[in-house]
Amino acid sequence: MNSMSTPALRPSASVKTGGNRWKFVIGGLLILAAIAYATISSFQANTLYYLTLNELYAQRTAHLGQSVRINAPLDKSSIRFDDKSLTLTFILREGDLSLPVVYKGVVPDTLESGESIVAEGKLGADGVFQASTILVKCPSKYESATPQAGK
Amino acid sequence: MTDFTMADLGYASLLLSLVLCAYAVGAALYAAHRPRLVFYLSARNALFVSAALTTLAVGILEWALLTHQFRLEYVASHTSRAQPLLYTISALWAGQEGSLLFWVWLLAIFSAIAVAQNRERNRELMPYVAAGLAFAQVFFLALLTMAADSAQAGFVIALPLNARLSAALVGNPFRLLDFTPSDGLGMNPLLQNPGMFIHPVTQYIGFVGFTVPFAFAMAALFTRRLGDAWIRTTRRWTLVSWLFLSLGLLFGMQWAYVELGWGGYWGWDPVENSSLMPWLTGTAFLHSVMIQERRGMLKVWNLVLVMLTFTFSLLGTFITRSGIIQSVHAFGVSSLGPWFLAFFGMTLLAFLYLLFSRMNALKEENELDALVSRESTFLLNNLILVGAAFATLWGTLFPMVSETFTGKKVTVAKEFFNQVNGPIFFALVVLIGICPLIGWRKASRENLMRNFLRPFGVAIGAALGLFLIGLREWYGLLSFSTCAFVLTTIALEIARGIRARTRQGRENVLTASLNLVRQNRRCYGGYIVHIGVILCVIGIAGSTFYQVETQAHLQPGESAQLKQYALRYDALQTYAIENRQAVAARLTVLENGTPVGTLVPEKYFYPSPNPDQSQWTTEIAVRTTLLEDLYVILAGWDIQAGTITLKVIVNPLVVWLWIGFAVLVIGTLIAVLPDAREVSASARTRSEPALARA
Repeated sequence: MNSMSTPALRPSASVKTGGNRWKFVIGGLLILAAIAYATISSFQANTLYYLTLNELYAQRTAHLGQSVRINAPLDKSSIRFDDKSLTLTFILREGDLSLPVVYKGVVPDTLESGESIVAEGKLGADGVFQASTILVKCPSKYESATPQAGK
Repeated sequence: MTDFTMADLGYASLLLSLVLCAYAVGAALYAAHRPRLVFYLSARNALFVSAALTTLAVGILEWALLTHQFRLEYVASHTSRAQPLLYTISALWAGQEGSLLFWVWLLAIFSAIAVAQNRERNRELMPYVAAGLAFAQVFFLALLTMAADSAQAGFVIALPLNARLSAALVGNPFRLLDFTPSDGLGMNPLLQNPGMFIHPVTQYIGFVGFTVPFAFAMAALFTRRLGDAWIRTTRRWTLVSWLFLSLGLLFGMQWAYVELGWGGYWGWDPVENSSLMPWLTGTAFLHSVMIQERRGMLKVWNLVLVMLTFTFSLLGTFITRSGIIQSVHAFGVSSLGPWFLAFFGMTLLAFLYLLFSRMNALKEENELDALVSRESTFLLNNLILVGAAFATLWGTLFPMVSETFTGKKVTVAKEFFNQVNGPIFFALVVLIGICPLIGWRKASRENLMRNFLRPFGVAIGAALGLFLIGLREWYGLLSFSTCAFVLTTIALEIARGIRARTRQGRENVLTASLNLVRQNRRCYGGYIVHIGVILCVIGIAGSTFYQVETQAHLQPGESAQLKQYALRYDALQTYAIENRQAVAARLTVLENGTPVGTLVPEKYFYPSPNPDQSQWTTEIAVRTTLLEDLYVILAGWDIQAGTITLKVIVNPLVVWLWIGFAVLVIGTLIAVLPDAREVSASARTRSEPALARA
């Protein structure tokens, strides 16, 4: 059994040529093709639209029940948190448009100072957005981290 | 001196350093072009002085932070009087300007060390190495000192006439306000965690460190000295930089685990990805250079890998600093984009031009002999690691690419990364196990069968055992039995080495194992790193496949139940600590009915004169055992009613992730230290001149 401690084998020039090389090239290409296939196939299933409220409502029926990410300004006065059930509700407003959002889980620490929210989830038929993840975007004065809630 | 003149001194030293580095590029290239040693020596001195000047600049900024010179905008925006000392010190890298200053300082120090180490060696390479390192410094120093018209985030640059008020491309860390505030804004409370002290430092050392091997690779291309001299010379730089990238990942994960409060340590966020990608290609590089050293093969591949690792390190800085991609951890938006693109572009073009013009000098000295050989496991490992890096890159950059080319904004869900990288990393783990079973060049079939049998048996045994004690998740069983397989192959390999020594009769098991490692540190250090990686995998598999959680709304005296644990809510307390107010729930932990300790999850409130900037932070409480973490978040409370709401998570085996990293660090350190053979060789070379003089 060779271990890595055997002396270098460099002086032994290989006699084989040509044919062997192809085996490796084909093997390598097969592996890269497999990785590329895995990337592309799971990619299509996992890309989400990233929408403003305008875009969401412009194609409301198309996006109904579909996983999307919404980025819109937060109406701070609308924040309600039920600490018994850990249910957070708030309203995103953009111009005349508004979207009620429900999120179950721990409230992100920066919510109170948040300017806008990036929420990932689904728009229900009742017009309420059920968020699975929310990310708070803070004024740029805070040149640092904003926490993520949910998983 | 006043803060005024100190700030000017800091800015001036950066400016002077910029001029010196620009000079060093020219002088070093001239020295290389027509061998004039004196110009190289001059370039080298310029690099030494630049290291001293940037050290002075860092010292001044740190002094300003520690003595609360709020006249400096940077000090006023990132520290306050109430802030604990630890975070006042680490405010140096808390903001955009300071962290780039810190970056350029590391680069200047590393450049000086690299040229000092090679006073007597690599005479042909060094002028190019010095030029490359100086060029990188010019780039970063320009970001700190050159002013851009703030209206256009572009290439229009000029040296600011009034340093005190100038807004540089990134920002002049020594910029002064036109008044002196009585107190600063303070560091964002979320950054006020010990992780802030250690994570950015280790991450940056790792990122910056790879500049040195890359500079040597470029020098090797320039000089057509494409043997393994550049690889041998930079072996320790590579290993140590890789070690720091690993530490950066470790401390980053720990920080996220305790601070972000969602029970996880990795979320495939762009900033997290950008620290993983150079680690992946760096790992591939560490492996493939061994093939070049032993067999004179994979020369082009190694150059490409070190280029990729350097590029990914830059990209990491760029993604973190530019705010171009939305991230949990990102800094504010800045105008770094065009500058980074220009630097990327120039570096990449120079690299590709040199690579293609030197193709004839990059001929392989050997050919691979057999598909089933140690070499091909290394190749496979490389393909897998680079594949994972590019899959991650694709997912990270796609939102930006899509928006640029189709105008459609899309994002990539976290599941993408798990689905792609899960199987890739699984294959990698299997490979770690198979590798020591297969000999160099070509493995015989009987050899393979014999070596495979026992580890395979252990793996089946482990799967059966875990099934019998009640584990059912298919993924989990597969992961754990694979880890058992790999650990067995490594253990057998080490045991074989020890037996070979004890059989000669002179050594007992203990001295045999010590000598075995001492005489071949690189090989056995590598095996120990592999053991560490497998322990990490065990931790990741446990916490990914077997995590359970619950939430509960409690009156005093009531308990939350999860698995064998009961958390009894005893009292809600409020108190003040340093610069913050705390709300804390005292909990008694009962395991199967017997009290085993208390946990106190907290919420901190950091008040600020500006109510919009007052902020809460979540301080989780964890009880760690070798088997699992009990992780508790205080999610809600009602002071009047005295009630609380808890979120409780049981995270199995998480501690093995941290232990695995510790083992990995030990293994890497063993591999970095000189071999017994190397020590005696260098002792010989050192004593020769002495003998000659005698």
